Amino acid sequence: MRKKIIKVNINGEWHELAVSLHDRLIDTLREQCGLTGTKEGCGEGECGACTVNLNGKAFLACLLLSVQVDGAQILTIEGLQNGLDLHPLQRAFLSESAVQCGYCTPGMIMAGHALIQQNPDPDEAAVKQSLSNNLCRCTGYEKPVKAVLKAAVEIKGKADE
Amino acid sequence: MNDGYTTVGKSFQRVDGIDKVTGAAKYATDLKFENMLYAGLLRSPHAHARVVSINVSAAEKLPGVKAVTTVFDVPKVVQYWFFLRTEKKREQMFLYDNIVRFIGDPVLAIAATSREILNQALSLVTVEYEPLKAIYDPQEALTENKVNIHRNGNIAFKVKKEFGNPWRGFEEADIIVENTYQTSKQKHASLEPIGTCVANFQSSGKLTVYSSTQLPHWSQHYLAKALDLSLNKVRVIKPYTGGAFGGRCGLIHGLEVMCSYLSRQALQPVKMSFTREEDFLATESRHPMTIRMKTGATAEGVITANEVEILSDAGGYGTHYIGVIADCMSTGIGLYNIPNYAFSGTAVYTNKSPCGALRGYGNPQMNFAQESQIDIIALKLGMDPVTIRLKNYRGEGEIDPVLKERILSNGLEDCLRRGARSCGWKEKRLRSPGTGCIRKGIGLSIMLHGTGAARALPDPGSAAIIINSDGTANLQTAAADEGQGSRTVLAQVASEILGIEFDKISVSDTDTDITPLDCGTHGSRQAYCGGLSVRNAAMDARNKMLAHSQRYLGVEKAKLTVRDGVIFEKADPVNHISIRELMQKIQIQEMDICEQVIGTASGIAPAMPGYYGAVFAEVEVNVQTGGVKVIKLTSAYDVGKAINPEMVRGQIAGGGVMGIGFALTEGLQVEKGYILNPNFTDYRLLRSCDVPEIETIIVESNEPTGPFGAKGIGEGSMVNVASAVSNAICNATGVRLTELGITPEKILRGMKENL
Repeated sequence: MRKKIIKVNINGEWHELAVSLHDRLIDTLREQCGLTGTKEGCGEGECGACTVNLNGKAFLACLLLSVQVDGAQILTIEGLQNGLDLHPLQRAFLSESAVQCGYCTPGMIMAGHALIQQNPDPDEAAVKQSLSNNLCRCTGYEKPVKAVLKAAVEIKGKADE
Repeated sequence: MNDGYTTVGKSFQRVDGIDKVTGAAKYATDLKFENMLYAGLLRSPHAHARVVSINVSAAEKLPGVKAVTTVFDVPKVVQYWFFLRTEKKREQMFLYDNIVRFIGDPVLAIAATSREILNQALSLVTVEYEPLKAIYDPQEALTENKVNIHRNGNIAFKVKKEFGNPWRGFEEADIIVENTYQTSKQKHASLEPIGTCVANFQSSGKLTVYSSTQLPHWSQHYLAKALDLSLNKVRVIKPYTGGAFGGRCGLIHGLEVMCSYLSRQALQPVKMSFTREEDFLATESRHPMTIRMKTGATAEGVITANEVEILSDAGGYGTHYIGVIADCMSTGIGLYNIPNYAFSGTAVYTNKSPCGALRGYGNPQMNFAQESQIDIIALKLGMDPVTIRLKNYRGEGEIDPVLKERILSNGLEDCLRRGARSCGWKEKRLRSPGTGCIRKGIGLSIMLHGTGAARALPDPGSAAIIINSDGTANLQTAAADEGQGSRTVLAQVASEILGIEFDKISVSDTDTDITPLDCGTHGSRQAYCGGLSVRNAAMDARNKMLAHSQRYLGVEKAKLTVRDGVIFEKADPVNHISIRELMQKIQIQEMDICEQVIGTASGIAPAMPGYYGAVFAEVEVNVQTGGVKVIKLTSAYDVGKAINPEMVRGQIAGGGVMGIGFALTEGLQVEKGYILNPNFTDYRLLRSCDVPEIETIIVESNEPTGPFGAKGIGEGSMVNVASAVSNAICNATGVRLTELGITPEKILRGMKENL
């Protein structure tokens, strides 16, 4: 099958990847790059479990073809922490008990990450809106919403220092 | 509250949290092995047919196709673990035939070296079917006698029980209310689709199956029987699981058995993953029920009799239909002290996707009917719905007539009173719903759910704790954490008893080669049953540690205790030794001992204690559109003792949202056997912007048989939400809905009829 070479920056490192024209980004990330933190919950863009950040915005990796992301900067859940130091969003999801089964968690965190990048001072309505693409069957959403709000305050506090 | 505990009652962060927030947690869908094959199913396009022949020759010739197996070779599992008890019953668990019974029923499975080859191979298979008449309507299944979905007919199960004298009970009643209720075919919709496993059958004759199951040990038993292997040759490993809610309460129809057969043929690891659509179309759902209920009460609001007739739709295959009806009975009768009760339940097969366990089992269906009836009676008598429930509920000290157990803890009154106070029940109930487009209403509902299944089912629990030579500990349990947090809670229990800090205790993965026999996750059982196993294993280890320390502290062990990693004399704490020092000595240093402290426990829980809850729902109904908005839930649950309060709150909130879905938006739409909404666009789960405020109230009644007083919570938190929402809608609009999901159309129709 014909392959195309794409150049993408994944979690801070540039990669050259040979992908088929029909490969979805989610499969390239999970199967080719071994980044299985990005989850597939529906494959149809309805559940948000595969949310990744593409050039700073939240995208669904199941709806993108890999050839579409040539030249892009991609951030996945694996790229969020700094060594053993967790990102404020990751810490907030833990401290707010916003994680249960954890399958939606990477997508939620990445949706929250994109939101905070675009709106460093989101209110509850903005967070609820930005997480509304992400289905969760365990938590009832309240704790994830609180976690994103908490992380936003911490990130803004650091930026203001 | 200071109850003297060091870890119990505190909201520790989950032991698997870091894995989950960093993406490191591996779920079954993430697993990949050397030489792994990809498997998929060919599913029946017919709702009911005989498979006459299958032509696989073209598919088999395709390079890369490594194994093919069909419905002719592979048995289906059609019962649950109650049937493991005798050899005869065990035989009844497996069905060998070539009939397909719903659209999507697996006909054949192929394993190939890539997904592309797999899909091509599946397209090359031709199947000859002899279509049979299909039955979709459970009423028709009852009366139809020419078409038999299963060999024994269409009636899967029937039960009839009477308590007291129902006839006399209705004679004593001043009012009698009779209605028929219908509930929907709800889906688990766990975010990890149901149906992924990797089976690896090796030349040594050993089968290893990685599966996101709630029941690792029973899955091991089912697979051993299906493949005619001994238990030591079947190893089930449960990786991280993306939610279960009952959907993984047994083997998945067409998954693990098919995959294991393929792997045995190919002698390579075989992975099969259902898509979301397959999850919706062909895995189990909640039993839709039609429930006729006739309830009698005196003018003073004393309920004198209840007559219940349930028709439960099991779909094409049943696994849990007996337990689900039994649960309707035990929860319905257990909740209220109704002296005269007639219960009958029938489960029938229809040619639709199979039904099984789903959070609450039969309780949410039964609760919707019974809590609607109680509300109607209160309304007719002009009684406050809180008062009528306080007057009739079955309280502490009374005997549960179904379980034949004395109720040792019941915090329902606290749930009702604290919930009512907190949500402002009295004022809100008395206010007018308004006359404009938006009508406000408030309603409530209560529930009882059993914890575990001691004596009702084989319900073993086991744990082993090994103390390491540096004073840390490893807990081995097959508790099968599906995300609810049982591993964390069990580590807290172990920590409290052992006197070893929480973060010095590791909890094993579930692996039937290593972790001792446990029933797994079902029936809200792990905090209680798992907690008891871990408590007892920890007591065993603790006793052994104290016995060893006698030698160094010079006093007998009855005078010793342990806290914060130090064993000391109660009367003279200066006389002490750290666990770390003691373990180093007895395991390594003292060469005449060299003994590791290992604590073990196994057995059933002493009881099946009920846990209770009251939910107050506030709604706004738009009477022009029929749209319902749930504004707030106030959910008070008696969990005995919250070992990890934030996790309990998480269960209550998550159950609340699932319950609102059951009330309003969820349910598979089935038309002539076709499921019309097999995706998240058409099957509507609530999203972050849809959910109301949920106030959670934890009531602690201290169950005397429980570990630190704990009992269950997982299922109950969704059981009585739909009935509370429906009662609130009635309060807002005067419309009594008897059919779930409550769509705008049904409300508008009801308003029209009320005019």
